[in-house]
Amino acid sequence: MGEPVIDVRDLSKHYADIKAIDGITFNVEKGEMFSLLGPNGAGKTTTVEILEGLRDPTSGEARVLGVDVRTGYRKIRERVGVLPQDFEPFDRLQPREAVAYWAQLFDRTLTKKEIDDLISTVGLSDRAETLAMNLSGGEKRRLGIAMSLVGRPQLVFLDEPTTGLDPGARRELWGLIRQLKKEGTTILLTTHYLDEAEQLADDVAIMNHGKIVARGSPAELIAQYGRGSTIVLAGAGEDGLRAVQARGITAELQGVDVVVKVPVASDMRRMLEKLASIDTPLNEIYTRRASLEDVFLSLVGARMQEGVLAT
Amino acid sequence: MNRILADMKAFGTQYLRSRVGTFFALVFPILLILLFGAIFGSSGSSPVTLYVQDVDNSAASHAFTDALNKTNVTTTRAIPSSADFSQYIRDHSINVALQIPSGFQVALAKAQNGTRVTVNLTLAGDQTQSSYGIAVSAVDAVATAFNLQVAKAAPVVNVLPTSVPGLRHLTYIDLFLPGIIGFTILSTPLFGMTAICAEYRSRRYFKLLATTKLSKPEWLAAKVVFHIILLFASVALMVLVGILVFGLKAVVTPMAVLIIIAGTLEFTSLGMALGIFVRDPETGAAIANAIGFPMMFLAGSFFPVDAMPAFLQTGARFLPLTYINEGLRATMTFANDATALVDLLVTLGFAAVFFVVAARGLSWKSK
Ligand SMILES: Nc1ncnc2c1ncn2[C@@H]1O[C@H](COP(=O)(O)OP(=O)(O)O)[C@@H](O)[C@H]1O
Ligand SMILES: [Mg+2]
Repeated sequence: MGEPVIDVRDLSKHYADIKAIDGITFNVEKGEMFSLLGPNGAGKTTTVEILEGLRDPTSGEARVLGVDVRTGYRKIRERVGVLPQDFEPFDRLQPREAVAYWAQLFDRTLTKKEIDDLISTVGLSDRAETLAMNLSGGEKRRLGIAMSLVGRPQLVFLDEPTTGLDPGARRELWGLIRQLKKEGTTILLTTHYLDEAEQLADDVAIMNHGKIVARGSPAELIAQYGRGSTIVLAGAGEDGLRAVQARGITAELQGVDVVVKVPVASDMRRMLEKLASIDTPLNEIYTRRASLEDVFLSLVGARMQEGVLAT
Repeated sequence: MNRILADMKAFGTQYLRSRVGTFFALVFPILLILLFGAIFGSSGSSPVTLYVQDVDNSAASHAFTDALNKTNVTTTRAIPSSADFSQYIRDHSINVALQIPSGFQVALAKAQNGTRVTVNLTLAGDQTQSSYGIAVSAVDAVATAFNLQVAKAAPVVNVLPTSVPGLRHLTYIDLFLPGIIGFTILSTPLFGMTAICAEYRSRRYFKLLATTKLSKPEWLAAKVVFHIILLFASVALMVLVGILVFGLKAVVTPMAVLIIIAGTLEFTSLGMALGIFVRDPETGAAIANAIGFPMMFLAGSFFPVDAMPAFLQTGARFLPLTYINEGLRATMTFANDATALVDLLVTLGFAAVFFVVAARGLSWKSK
C-alpha cells in the first residue's frame, strides 16, 4: 500500500476554554470508507475542517493526498470534495444550475450530459429544474453531494450527511454513499448515528471529548468491546425478570423485555437452554448480536441518542 | 476570468429571482423620484440658500431679489449692507453669495433712456459646489429677464464671474436625480453585500467557497460587475422616468458613467469590508443601516450639502458618498466635468482602499 490518503498525527486544536481535539492520530487508506463517530462536540467537524484547510491546528500534523493541508491545500482542492455539516444549497438555483456553477469554480465546464449524469447519480433527475429552496431535506443533501463531486474527487468529506433527515431519506443517502465507495472514492464520513457507522464504514474511530477512544472495523470493535451477545425475552415483564433472577441469572428490564447479556459466545447454547426452561408468559425469545451501540456504551459509559449523551 | 463570470451569472440569477432585492434596486429609486418630484416639483420649494448683500438698496435691487426668490431653485437671505462682503462670507461659511453694487438702479434707469451702461453683480462662492452652479443659473436667468424687460435686451446687468456654464431653466428633478442615483449607488450594493455576507457566513457558503478555486478578490469582482450592470439598468429607468414625467434636462455624461462605475466598486467593496464584522442577518442589517442611512442624508442625496449647518458640511467632506453626489450633479446637471473629475478621483481612491480592505480583511475560514 502506498501513502495513506489521510495521515493525521498527534493533531490538536485548542480554543481558549476547550480542547476541541486533543492529540488524535489516524490514517485512511485509498478506497476506504472511514468514519469519525461521536456525540455532538466530540471534535468531528473541527477535525474535518482542519483536513479541508479551513482551520489551522494548534499542533500536530495533517496530511491529505500527500500534502500538508496547513500550507498545501490549494494544490489538492480539485481532488477533494466537501459536504459541510448542515449543508444548505443556494436557495434560488436549480440543481442543474448549481452543479454547472460549482464545476466552473473548479475550472471545469461540464457538458449537458455530464451534468445530467451527475444529477442522476444522486437521484435528482426529476427535481433538476426545481429551485433548491423547494427541495426536501434529503434532496438538498443529495444536491450537496452532487456539488462535492463536480471535480471527480479522489477523496470526499461528508460531515454528518444524514443528520436531521427522516429514516427513509437516510437510507437513500446510504445507498448513494455506498455507490460512491464502490467507484473507488475514499470517503471520510462523520456521524453521531451508531447504525450509520456500523452500516457504512470499513473503519471507525470513536471520538469523545476531542480524543479517539477506540479504532477498528465495526466487527473488530464489537468483538473487542461489545461484551458478547444478548438474549431478549420479549414481553416477559417484571414477573419474567423475577423468575430469571430466581435462577441466579443476571438480567435487566428494558421496557417490557427482559435482557440477558452473554459475554462469551460459547456460553450461548447453555444460557438459552436455561432460559427456555423457565415457565413464564412471553411473546418470543430471540438473540441479538452486540452492536456499536453496546461498544459505545461500554467505552463512554453512556448511551448516545441524536448525538446527545444520556446516562 | 471564467470563474468570475460563472460566479457573477449564478449570483445574478439568484438576485433577480429574489423579488425583494430587485424591487429595492430597480423600483424603489423610481418611487423616490416620483415622490420627491411630486412634492418639490409642484410646490417650487427651493434647495439653495443664496445670500444677498444689497448695497444699492433701491426699488430695482429689491425687484431683482424678489425675482430670485421666485425662481424655483433659490431663496435669498440678506447680508447687512454695512458688512464687509468677503469677510462676512468667510465668517459665516456661506457657500454662495451675491452682491448688488450701489448704482444698480441708476444704471438701469440710464439704460432705459437708451444710454449704454453695464453694472456688474458679484457672485462669490465655492465653484466646486453644486449650489454655486444652481445660484449662477438662477442669477443669470433673472439678469437675462431684467435685460430683456428693463433694458430691451441690452446687456445691462452683467453677472460676474460666470465661469460655470450652468444649464438654464433647471427644475428640481435636475438637481434631485443625481442625488437619487447616488443614493442607489450606496444602498443597492451596501445593503446587498452586508446581507450576502451574513447569509454566506451563517449558511457556511464562505467555507464552501474557500474549498474551490475561486479567490476572494474574484468573488468580490463578480459582485462588483453584477452591481454595475444592475446600477446601469436602474439609472436608465430613472432617467427615463425623469424625462417622461418631469421633463428632465440633466444628461448621463461619460463622466457620470465613470462615477457610477467607481461608486459601485466603492460601495460593493465597503459592504464586503463591513462583512468582516457581520455574523448573522441581524448584525448585517444593523451595520448597513448605521453606516448607510446617516451617509445618505449627510452626503446630500436628498438636499444639497450647502443647506446644512457648517459643521455638518465639514463632516460631509469625509463621507465617500458626498463625492459621488457632488460629481454626478456637477457633470449631469452643470456640465462641469472639471469638478466631477476631482470627485471621480476621490471616489476611486476610497474604492481602492475598500476593495483591498475587503479582499484582505474578510476571512472565509474560521479560527
Ligand atoms: N471556533 C471555536 N471557538 C471555540 N470553541 C469551538 C470552536 N469551534 C468548535 N469549538 C468547540 O470545540 C468542540 C468540538 O466541536 P466540533 O468539532 O464542532 O464537534 P462535533 O463536530 O463533533 O459536533 C465543541 O465543544 C465546540 O464547542
Ligand atoms: Mg460537527
